[in-house]
This record gives sequence, structure tokens and C-alpha cells, in this order.
Amino acid sequence: MATSLIENDWTGEDVSIAQIERELARLRSESAKEGAQPNLRTSVMTHIAWAPPEWQSAAEETLAGMAERHPSRTLLLVPRPDDPDGLDALLSLRCFPIGDRAVCGEVIELALRGNRAFAPASIVLPLLISDLPVFCRWRGEPRWDSTEFEQLTGIVDRLIVDSTEWPDLPAAYAQLAELFSKVVVSDIAWERTERWRSLLASLWPAVGGVQAIRVQGTRAQGHLLAGWLRSRLGHDVELEIEEREVLEGIDLDGQAAPFPPGRPPNASDVLSAQLDRFSRDPFYEAAARAAAA
Amino acid sequence: MTGPEHNPLADGLNLRRRPDGCNLVIFGASGDLTSKKLMPALYSLAVRQLLPEHFGIVGAARTEESDDQFRERMKRAVQEHSRDEFDQEVWDGLAGGMHYITLDFADEKGEDELRDTLTKLDEERGTGGNRVYYFAVPPSAIGTIVDEIAERRAAEGWIRLIIEKPFGHDLQSARDLNTRLQEHFAENEVFRIDHYLGKETVQNMLALRFANGIFEPIWNRQFIDHVQITVAESIGIEGRAGYYEQAGAIRDIFQNHLLQLVAITAMEPPIDFTADSVRNEKVKVLKAMHTPGPKHVIRGQYGAGFVEGEAVRGYREEDAVAPGSMTETFVAAKLYVDNWRWADTPFYVRMGKRLARRETTIAVQFKRAPHPPFEDAAAEGLRPNVLLIHVQPNEGVSLAIGAKVPGQGMTIRTVHMDFLYGGAFREGLPEAYERLILDAMLGDATLFTRSDETEEQWALVDAIVSFWQRDRPSFPNYASGTWGPATSDELLHRDGRSWRRH
Repeated sequence: MATSLIENDWTGEDVSIAQIERELARLRSESAKEGAQPNLRTSVMTHIAWAPPEWQSAAEETLAGMAERHPSRTLLLVPRPDDPDGLDALLSLRCFPIGDRAVCGEVIELALRGNRAFAPASIVLPLLISDLPVFCRWRGEPRWDSTEFEQLTGIVDRLIVDSTEWPDLPAAYAQLAELFSKVVVSDIAWERTERWRSLLASLWPAVGGVQAIRVQGTRAQGHLLAGWLRSRLGHDVELEIEEREVLEGIDLDGQAAPFPPGRPPNASDVLSAQLDRFSRDPFYEAAARAAAA
Repeated sequence: MTGPEHNPLADGLNLRRRPDGCNLVIFGASGDLTSKKLMPALYSLAVRQLLPEHFGIVGAARTEESDDQFRERMKRAVQEHSRDEFDQEVWDGLAGGMHYITLDFADEKGEDELRDTLTKLDEERGTGGNRVYYFAVPPSAIGTIVDEIAERRAAEGWIRLIIEKPFGHDLQSARDLNTRLQEHFAENEVFRIDHYLGKETVQNMLALRFANGIFEPIWNRQFIDHVQITVAESIGIEGRAGYYEQAGAIRDIFQNHLLQLVAITAMEPPIDFTADSVRNEKVKVLKAMHTPGPKHVIRGQYGAGFVEGEAVRGYREEDAVAPGSMTETFVAAKLYVDNWRWADTPFYVRMGKRLARRETTIAVQFKRAPHPPFEDAAAEGLRPNVLLIHVQPNEGVSLAIGAKVPGQGMTIRTVHMDFLYGGAFREGLPEAYERLILDAMLGDATLFTRSDETEEQWALVDAIVSFWQRDRPSFPNYASGTWGPATSDELLHRDGRSWRRH
């Protein structure tokens, strides 16, 4: 992969959307070499990340890891409801060389101050790239009945959460399940169990009668794996969780399952995989419902 | 789906189809193809865990080498040529099942040793008698090996033969080879490889045509003026005089890669993407292809010149090339596909070595706008729309359209709308051989050439070559580093057209 070149950026306080668009156009035109063809802006999606201040640096790190794979327009929204009203922007153009040209993605980092934090849709809508899918990565557990959550889930095609970040498990899955008919949801915690689910599936038919599992992993992974087994096998499966940072092992009725082959994917790989999918995942939806039941 | 045999846990999982356990035998394992393409491809498949869980590789060639020497040489090849970073753990997994057998292909004892090694690997690695034989050998050696393999066919398991180009030398030899293969093997066990079909951009041509509603309605003689296909290499024959003197550009590129590109551009939509549906449509195009008269085929041979600023020798000065060689290193031709869709629409094709740059493109030139009101205002003459498919390098698609130059007045210029593969999909493109080896292991022949397809290709080549017996052009007729002989330009000028500007 080519090295990323952050060619240019711009910061502004108390900015307007028109100003943001103007500055982006300027950054794009300045990024091309003099006399050369203009650089290309890649347009495969708009990617929104909702990151409250405590999640901001984690969000930036993940975005940096995958900017080259999905060099689209990214809107990083940082709500600051306690600050005075206003909108601050940090715009950066990230260009990657291909042959004698470069492909540029744009990262628009916006601090939504004061009341702006409760009206994100009106800020995001004018900045979406027309006719392309919109993904929203929501950091932390959403306030399920908040205006900002309702607004953003109303305009995006796919909501990406990581239920590992949620304190209120498994009850929060019931809240999430209410969204399934409104917006396509995917869960990074679920994606991280995929290697293990493939492994468990390979143990069929012996695994079919499993009654209890013990998961050494995050709480989200434990609940989702148990929910998945319950929903697929059609009978109850008891769950015991031994909390770990990552999924380290699964016991089936007291017997340790073998370790799945390959290495676990990193945060950027997992998010990147989610951005390649567009349709609902009925197996996840069933697992989340069964986890909450 | 339900029932005791159905695994409910497998539903919804993104389980990649993994081939059955098997052993891969590479005949010609000491050659460049094995070290530059096959082994790096196998390594990349191993990195992505796409190889069978139970898998062994046996290299076979005349060169004396031990298992360890072979593994060491292959390791260096992977380190040098793989698109993936070298990972010792992945390599160890692959090298653990790797063996080498010194073998003269007609040598019964060597063949017996190969069979015994494979039987042993079946026991050790649980490969169940399944075999993939890769023929990276000259066509003359294939027949003998095929007989030997058939004689020693294991009682259990499947067999797949992957056969490299050139598949024969002319129609008769291709037919003979097909007959010999068919004596022992069914057509679905034979995978004639043309690595162009494994290229993402060639497959993208199918996606472009058949997954978009806007192209197919205008993909015909009513809207398309002509098609230009260029397969240009800037390199010379790279020490392969022995092969190239026999083959020339017509057998090296035209018979296989070039005709595949024409077939994919001109074929009717297949009813599905299965091997037979796709190949039936391609064969129809080849059958409908009009044999061009001698005036419509241009031959060339490169003389000395400059490539990328470096002085290079002419073809006749290359090592082991006859000083008076009449082998062509360039072919340009005007082809017609005589069917309802393409009647009277020329396909101009050209291919050659030591051309100005390495480039494979398919350019579909549309007819002019019927009455452009801007003729006077056009800055450089209004040019017709061209849909350009870049097969290599810089894989992508671009569409040339006329646009207004900003400012007062009405000045029109041609601009390109570009889709660069690497821009939208930043994952590294898999090498063609990765896809093709995996497909062969899975038994999917969609991207391989069927026997009747090869024979149709050779029939066209034979018809062209038969004209060439009669005259002796004055070679060399183009300087290295140019776009071929002047007669190639005249081929299009006669029709009031010209090759695309680069």
C-alpha cells in the first residue's frame, strides 16, 4: 500500500457550512501539482463518526488506520453540548498516490458546540455526497431516546455500533432491536466473534445439543454468542462470562473448544469490513434479540 | 433449509469456499513461471487461508534439486515476488508439505516416484487422492505427461489438469492435444489457462457491461463506431528466443489474450455466470469472427531504438535469434464480428513488443453526436466519446466526454471521467494466478478456455498465417520505443480513423 500523504488541512472556529465547502474545494484544487490533472476525490460513501470527547482519540486512531482503504468523505462529529453555541471545523485532505495522480479523501472534523450538538442532521445533510450510501459509526452507548440519535439514524443507511463499549448489557440489545426495522445495524462486537462462530459451526453436528457455554471475552461477545446459539439452535443455552479484553476461549458444556485459525483482525480491519456491507444481517438481529430476552 | 443434515450455525457466516484437500504437482517447477507467479500466488492464498486445510505441493522438473533446495529457492522467490509481506509462520505451513522430484517427463521411474510421493502425501496429509497437475512445460511435453498421469491415476479422488499457453502451435496440433487429453480425461478435468481472464479488470469488463443498465443498450453497431484493443509491451523477448522464434506475436498474444479480450468485449450477455454459459457466448463470438484479408493484417518486427531513454537492440540482434529472422514481434489487424450486434463495426487490434509503453486497453469509440451545434466553438475539434478500459497498468475505466470550458463564450474540450480501481477499492488487487489456481482447485472452469474455444482461436490464426507464407516483408520495420510500423497507422487511416492518442 502506498504511503498516506496528508497534503493539507484547514482549521476554523465558528464556521458556516458554506465556508467548509469553500475551503474543501480550495484544499482539493491546491493538492494537485501545478499543470497536472486534478486529483480525484473518491466517492464510494459518506462515513459519519459520532464521537463524544471521551471517544474522540480512539475514533481518530481507527479512522487513520482505514483512511487508505475507504478514502471517502468522513465526518467526525464531536458533540460538546456544554460549550457555547457554535461550530468549529478541522478539514484535512488525505491523498494517496496512484500512478501519476492521487486519490483524495476528506476528513471533516466538527465540534458541535452548545445547541448544535442536538441538531446534527442539519449540519450533516448538506455535507453528504449525493446518491452514495451513508454509514454512521456511533461511539459509546447511544442515548436511545435522544434527538441527536434519532436524527442521525434517520438519515443514515447503516448504523455501526460496538456493543463492547456499552455498560448496560444485555438490556441495551432490546433498545437496539427496536431500530432494526428503521436502519441497518451492524455491531463490531459481533464481527469480532466471526472467527469463533465459524469454528463453532465447524463442530456441527456435535455442537447442536450444547446446553451451556462459558465465554472468556468481553461481555458483549458472551451475550451475542449465547444469543446466536439460542436463536440458531432453537433452545436455551446458559451463559457464563469470564471477562477478558478480547475473546480468548469458549467452553462448550465444560469442554474447551479449539482455538480458531488465523489472527484476530484489528479495529480498522473490523470497521473496514462493516463498510463493505450494505444489507441487513438477520442472524445478528436474531442473536441480539435472543441475547436481550 | 432444515433437516438433520443442515447446519444452522453455518447460515449467515461469510464462509469462503475452501477447496477439498489436494496435492498440487507443478511440472516445470524449475522455470520462471513457478518462481515468479505460481509460488507467490500459492503463498498469497495461504496468507488469506484460502488453500485447502490438507494440502501438499510437489515440484517436478529435470533440474537436480533436493526437497530442501527446492523449498529454499521457493522461499526466496516468495520473498522477492509476493505481493504480501513474508511471514515465516505462513511459509512454514506451506513449505511443510512441499517436495521436489527430479524427473524427465518420459521417464517411467521418475513418474513412479512421483506417484509414490503423492500416495505418501495422501496418507500424511489426508489429501484423499485429489490431484491438481500444473503443466508449466512446452506443449510438446504435455502429451507424454498426460499419458503417464492417466496410467497412474489413483483409484480415489478427483484430477484437474491446468495447462499453460501455448496450447498447441496451430489448429491441427491443438486438435491433436485436445484429442490426447480427451482420451484420458473429461473436459471438466482440463483447465486451459489464459491468465488474462484472471485479471480483475478483465472480469470487471463483464461487470461493467452486464451489471450496469446504461451500457448494454448502446453496446452495438448503432452507437459504437469501432473498438480498439491494444496489448503493448515495452520489454523485448527477455532471453526467450527459443520460444519466441517459433511463436511470434500472433501465437504469443493474439491467439490467446487478444482474442479473449475481443470475445469479452463482443459477447452476448450470458444467462448466468457458470462456466458453460460464459464460454458458449465467447465461442459464438469467435465463430462469428470474420477472417481478415491480408490487407487487414499488419506484421512488424522491432529494430534498434530507445525505450524509456535507454538504447535497445533490434529483434534480429537479440541473443539466439536468427540474423534474418522473419518472426513478427508486432501484429495489428482489423477484425469483424459478423453478427446482428456488430456487423460492419471494426475491431482494430494491435499487440507487440518494444512498443512505447506497457499498456493493455480496450477503447470503445462511440459515434459522433449527430448534429453538434458547437462545432465552431470546439477548442480542438469535438471528439467522439470513448469508453476506455485500462486492463493494465493503473487498472480502471474512463469516459471521455465533451465539456464546456469555464468563461465567456462556448468553448468545448474533451475531459476524462475516471474510475481508478485503486481509488475506489484500496485493497491490493489479487494476482491473476491466485484466482485461477483457486478456481481450478474448486473445479470452476468459468475463467478457463474450453477445447472448442481454443480451436476457434487457432482456426483464425491459421487463416492469417497462411497469407504470410506468400510474402516477405522488409523487417525490421519499426524502431523500438515507437507504436509500431507506419503501415499499422495506415490500416486505420484508410478507414478515416486513427489509433488512440496516448
